[in-house]
Amino acid sequence: MEFLLQQVINGLTIGSVYALVALGYTMIYGILRLINFAHGELFMLGSYLAFSFIASVGLVNVIPNLFLAIVVVFILSMGLVGFTGVAIERIAYKPLRHAGRLPAVVSALGVSIFMQNAVMLTYGTRYKVYPEGIIPTMAWEILGVEITLMRLIILGIAISLMFTLYFFVQKTMVGTAIRAIALDHDTSRLMGINVDSIIRLVFVIGPALGASAGIMVGLYYRQINFTMGWAYGLRAFTAAILGGIGNIPGAMIGGLLLGVAEAFGAGYVSPQWKDAIAFTILILVLIFRPTGLLGERVAEKV
Amino acid sequence: MKRFVVWLCVALLVVALAGCGQQAAPAEEEEPAETLEPIKIGVQGPISGQWAYEGEGFVDAVSLLAEQLNAAGGLLGREIVVIPGDDKGDPKESALVAQKMVAEGVTAVIGSYSSSCTEPASAIYDEAGIVHITPSSTATRLTEKGYPRFFRTCFLDDRQALFVSEFLRNELKFSKLALLHDNTTYAKGLADWTKLYFEERGGEVVFFDAITPGEKDFTPTLTSVKATNPEAIYFSGYFPEGGLLAKQAKDLGIDAVFMGGDACNNPEFVQIAGLEAAEGAMISTAPLPHDLEYPEAAKFIQDFKDKYKEDPTSVYTVMAADAFRIIAEAITKTESIDPEKIAAYLRNDLKDFPGITGPINYDEKGDRLGSIHLFYRIDANGQFVAYE
Repeated sequence: MEFLLQQVINGLTIGSVYALVALGYTMIYGILRLINFAHGELFMLGSYLAFSFIASVGLVNVIPNLFLAIVVVFILSMGLVGFTGVAIERIAYKPLRHAGRLPAVVSALGVSIFMQNAVMLTYGTRYKVYPEGIIPTMAWEILGVEITLMRLIILGIAISLMFTLYFFVQKTMVGTAIRAIALDHDTSRLMGINVDSIIRLVFVIGPALGASAGIMVGLYYRQINFTMGWAYGLRAFTAAILGGIGNIPGAMIGGLLLGVAEAFGAGYVSPQWKDAIAFTILILVLIFRPTGLLGERVAEKV
Repeated sequence: MKRFVVWLCVALLVVALAGCGQQAAPAEEEEPAETLEPIKIGVQGPISGQWAYEGEGFVDAVSLLAEQLNAAGGLLGREIVVIPGDDKGDPKESALVAQKMVAEGVTAVIGSYSSSCTEPASAIYDEAGIVHITPSSTATRLTEKGYPRFFRTCFLDDRQALFVSEFLRNELKFSKLALLHDNTTYAKGLADWTKLYFEERGGEVVFFDAITPGEKDFTPTLTSVKATNPEAIYFSGYFPEGGLLAKQAKDLGIDAVFMGGDACNNPEFVQIAGLEAAEGAMISTAPLPHDLEYPEAAKFIQDFKDKYKEDPTSVYTVMAADAFRIIAEAITKTESIDPEKIAAYLRNDLKDFPGITGPINYDEKGDRLGSIHLFYRIDANGQFVAYE
C-alpha cells in the first residue's frame, strides 16, 4: 500500500510537469492545427533562463525574500519565453499559415534544432546544475510515503496554473475568443475578433507554461542539459494525444496519467520497461479511442 | 562596377592558384615530402554532450603533451598534429568519427570514453590497421575480440568488481546489496561482474535492474529499491545519473550507503547530487590524479595546471595522457610510424613503462596488467577522500 501510494506521488509529480508542457501543444494545435515541435525547446529555454537568473545574475541573493525571488525568477523567465514564442510564431509560422500543414511542421522542426544549437553555443555543452539549497530540503513522512517540499511546490504550482488557464479559457471574453478561433478562423474574424492578436496571445501562454515546467524541473532535479527539450517534449506530446489533442482538460489528465503509468511501469515491472508501458497505453487508447480520452470527434472543415 | 569586381576576384584566384603550385614544386625537389609530413594522432571522445567533461579532458591532456613534444623537436623530427573527433558519447556518432579519423590518415587514435562508443570504433580502426588505445573503456569484452592493435591504459571491470565485492563483504560486512546499471556496455559489465563476485562471497543481491540514461526522474525505481531494504546501492553507470540517483534516494528517505563505480568519479557527481546527498557516498575508482604518487604525475599535473588553470580532476584525463605517452614511446623506440611495429612494441617490448598512473605492462590481449583501485568517500565539503 505504501509502495502504491509512493508510486502515485512519484507519478503525479513528474506527470504534472508533462501536463504543463502538454498544454502548450494542445492550445497551439487547437487554434492552428499545428504540432509545434519547437515547444520542448521552449521548455528547455525556460529552464536555462531561470538558471541564468539564479546562478549568474544571482537574483536569489539580491532579493532578500526567497519567496519573492522565486516569483521574480518565474515571471522573468516565463515572460522571456513567452516573448520568444511570439517571435517564433511571427518568423517561422505566420508566413506559412496558408501554405498547408506540412511546411509549418517542417518549420517547427527547424526552429527546434536552431534553438537547441543556440542554447548549446550560448551555455556550452556541459550539463548545467542549479545551485544547491534554493528550495529548503524539507520532507515529511505521511502513511509511509516520503513527501518533500519541492514536490508539494511542483504539484501546487502546476495545478494552480492549470486551473487558472482553464478558467481563463472558459470564463473570460478573451478565452471565448480563443475557443471561437479554434472552431473557425474566418467566421471569428467576421465576428470582429482580431485573430492574429489572439494567436499571438496563445503563443505567449503556451510557451510560458512550458517555461514554468522547465524551471520546476531545474529546481527539482537541479541538472539541466540543452537536449532535454526533446525527451520532455515527446512525453508531453504523448500526454496531449492521450487526453485528446486540442482539449485543455485532456492535456492535464493525459499528463498526470502518463506520469503515473510510467511510475507504475518502472515500479512494478522494470525501469527498462517504463517507456514501453507508457507508449503501449498510448497505442491502446489510440486504437480504442482515436480522439484521445476527452477528445471529441470534430467534423473536419474542407 | 560589378563586372570589375568579378574580374578582380577571378584574377586574384588565378594568382592564388599559381602561387600554390609554385610553393609545392620546390618542396618536392629538396626532400621527399613524406618525411616532412606531420604525424597525426586522433583523439576521439565525447567533447560535447553529457560526458563533455571527460572528452574535453582527453583533448586537453593530449594537446598539452603534443605541444611539449613539438617544442622539443617533435617525434622522429616530425611534427605531431592532434586531431580531435567529437562522438558526443553516442555509439552511432562514434562510428562516423572513426571513419573520419581513418580518412584523415591518423597513425593512432586515443579514445573513446565509454565502452559503448569504443566498441564500434574499435572494429573500424582494426580494419583500417590503426593503433587504438582507449584511456577509459573498461568493459572486459572489448579485448576479447582479439584486435591486434587495440590497447587500454585503464583497468578492467572485472578487477574493479572483484575489488568492490571484497570490500563490501570483508571491510564493511554488508550482505544485502542493490545493483543498478544503465545498460551501457561498461555499466552492465561492471554490474554483472559485481553480482557474480558478491554472491560468490556469500552476499545477496536484492535488486538488480537498469535505469535509462538521460532521464531525470528515478524515483519509481528507487521506491522499488527501498522496498528491498538494501545496506548499499551500487550504481555502475555514469555521473550525470549517479548524482541524480544519490539525490533522489536521499529525498525518498533511503538510508542505504550510496556507491558508484569509476564513472561516478567526477566532481560533477557532487554538484548534481548536492553536498547533502553526496556526503557519505562512496566511489570505487582508480586513484584521483592528485593521489597518484609517481613523479611523472606531479609533473603532468603541474604542467596541466599551468596551461589550463585548473587541475585534471578526472583520472581519465591522466589515462589519456598515458595513452599518448606510450604511443610516443613506441614511435621513438621503433623509429617508425608503422602501426604494426607500434603495436608489436607495445605488446612485447614495453616493460614497466613509467606511466603517470603507474607502471604500464600489457598482457597478450592488450589489457593493462595490475589494478590500482581504491574506494573514495565524499566528505561534507564534497571532497573525495581516499578510504583507508
